[in-house]
Amino acid sequence: MALRISARQFLRSARRSYPECHCIRQFSSTVQQAVEPTQPQPPLNERTTHFGFETVAEAQKEQRVAGVFSNIAASYDAMNDFMSLGIHRLWKDHFVRSINPGTTNPTNPQGWKMLDIAGGTGDIAFRLLDHSTLINCNPASKIIVSDINPEMLDEGRKRSLKTSYANSPRLEFLLANAENLSEIPDNSIDLYTVAFGIRNFTNKQKALGEAYRVLKPGGVFACLEFSGVTNPVFNAVYKRWSFGAIPLIGQLVVGDRDSYQYLVESIERFPRQEEFRGMIEKAGFATPGWEDLTGGIAAVHKGVKPLVSDAVEAAARRVEV
Amino acid sequence: MATKTRPLRLYSKRFYHSYDHPAPGGPFPAIETSILRVSTPHIPTHGFTNTSLSLGAQDAGYLPASTNLFPRGAFSLVHYYLYTQRLALAAHTNITAADAVGENGYVMGVGGKVRALVWERLMANKAVVHRWQEALALMAQPSNIPTSLKELAALSDEIWFLAGDKSVDSSWYTKRASLSTIYAATELFMTTDKSADFIDTREFLDRRLGDVKVVGGAVGSVSQWVGFTAHAGINVLRSKGVRI
Repeated sequence: MALRISARQFLRSARRSYPECHCIRQFSSTVQQAVEPTQPQPPLNERTTHFGFETVAEAQKEQRVAGVFSNIAASYDAMNDFMSLGIHRLWKDHFVRSINPGTTNPTNPQGWKMLDIAGGTGDIAFRLLDHSTLINCNPASKIIVSDINPEMLDEGRKRSLKTSYANSPRLEFLLANAENLSEIPDNSIDLYTVAFGIRNFTNKQKALGEAYRVLKPGGVFACLEFSGVTNPVFNAVYKRWSFGAIPLIGQLVVGDRDSYQYLVESIERFPRQEEFRGMIEKAGFATPGWEDLTGGIAAVHKGVKPLVSDAVEAAARRVEV
Repeated sequence: MATKTRPLRLYSKRFYHSYDHPAPGGPFPAIETSILRVSTPHIPTHGFTNTSLSLGAQDAGYLPASTNLFPRGAFSLVHYYLYTQRLALAAHTNITAADAVGENGYVMGVGGKVRALVWERLMANKAVVHRWQEALALMAQPSNIPTSLKELAALSDEIWFLAGDKSVDSSWYTKRASLSTIYAATELFMTTDKSADFIDTREFLDRRLGDVKVVGGAVGSVSQWVGFTAHAGINVLRSKGVRI
């Protein structure tokens, strides 16, 4: 009997065709062996990017991210609450409060023109409009909610019906890729926000350049995104939670482990605070620094597009340095 | 792997003073400075508020939204005001010159120069004194206290330096500490002073400076007495054969 089982196993293993590099089996590499053969290897001559911990072709990432968000659109809020223990609402509130949208002065009482990228469900957009209307008494501010994913936008449209902005000219929805916002003219936006979205972009630097293009001189780029925890002890706890609990919660609540596995991996892959600030400055923005939230789990990055004269000066200074 | 270090602050910190190589820059980057510079004229009307900042941004060609460059909001305006007024003191060469003549017609000593410089600094607040309580409230907010205290310390150091103080003993510290308290107290007094040309504030300042002289003299006398008595006591004991 034992002989027969071992013989069957031998036959089965012989049938499996491992790529060459997997032939030498080491004790430490068993986990990798279990995972790696399932990954489709991108052709060598294609530009690649990462999708969580996987390396995929750039052309593929967009589709796969779309897949993730189509899967989770309906349960987006419930899952965010479970995963962050409700803290994501505090982050978003704080983010909007710190931007203070709709603020005016006596000589310029115009509304703000805002663009919320990757804001499908309208989470940030409704908050921005609320703050502008209720806190700064500026009912003229408008917002365009843009997302690459039609399911997320549908979710946002559905939710907007419950707000006072439903079917009003103050709220628009736009299906667009943040790396190519050709529908939006140059120098036309006061505030560009992207909350928990830029992490999923295929080419982040290109998206930042596009943000720079659409913003008016003096316009604000504001980004809320997961980041690096600064305290090592807290980091250990946080990593345990994100890699242990979040995919499990995803599996239990919406029956989709892979989407949430991608989520935690993409958080891990996203550049740390200093590096991301460097990317914002590289796009041409003047940055006042970032603000860590909850020990650095998330961070708020901001940048202001300088006037043409200041931008030239700043570029000259950068060359000198 | 990203490094864990925070980026260097935009202004360098130096622990020495050099006449030949002035410290580069201030605590504010170029764009921030251009907005803050044109915001200060709005302070008398709109106070140390975001409105002043927003109007300043507008004057500089920016948008109301651009005030997002100042994460500390109106406190940045206070900080900029304190910083520029401190640097402006060096321009009073009629006081800081070595042979500067005081009101009484004699050449001013270090004490006289300190008094004159404090007065000049207080008078610089004249235009915004009706808004100064706002600034004090912002300065007293817990997250802003470290910056405020540093500015106060830097101001009293600047005043002693410009007055030509060359002390290298522990009085370096006591001088700066006592001047800081006097300045802060007088500044607070000035916010409620309604007298013509701030005569009450002037008298208040003179009384505080007088207090320091009296207290400083008393402390000096007491320590001299304690030192003398201790020495004498030890000598008496030694003369009695005690081995100390």
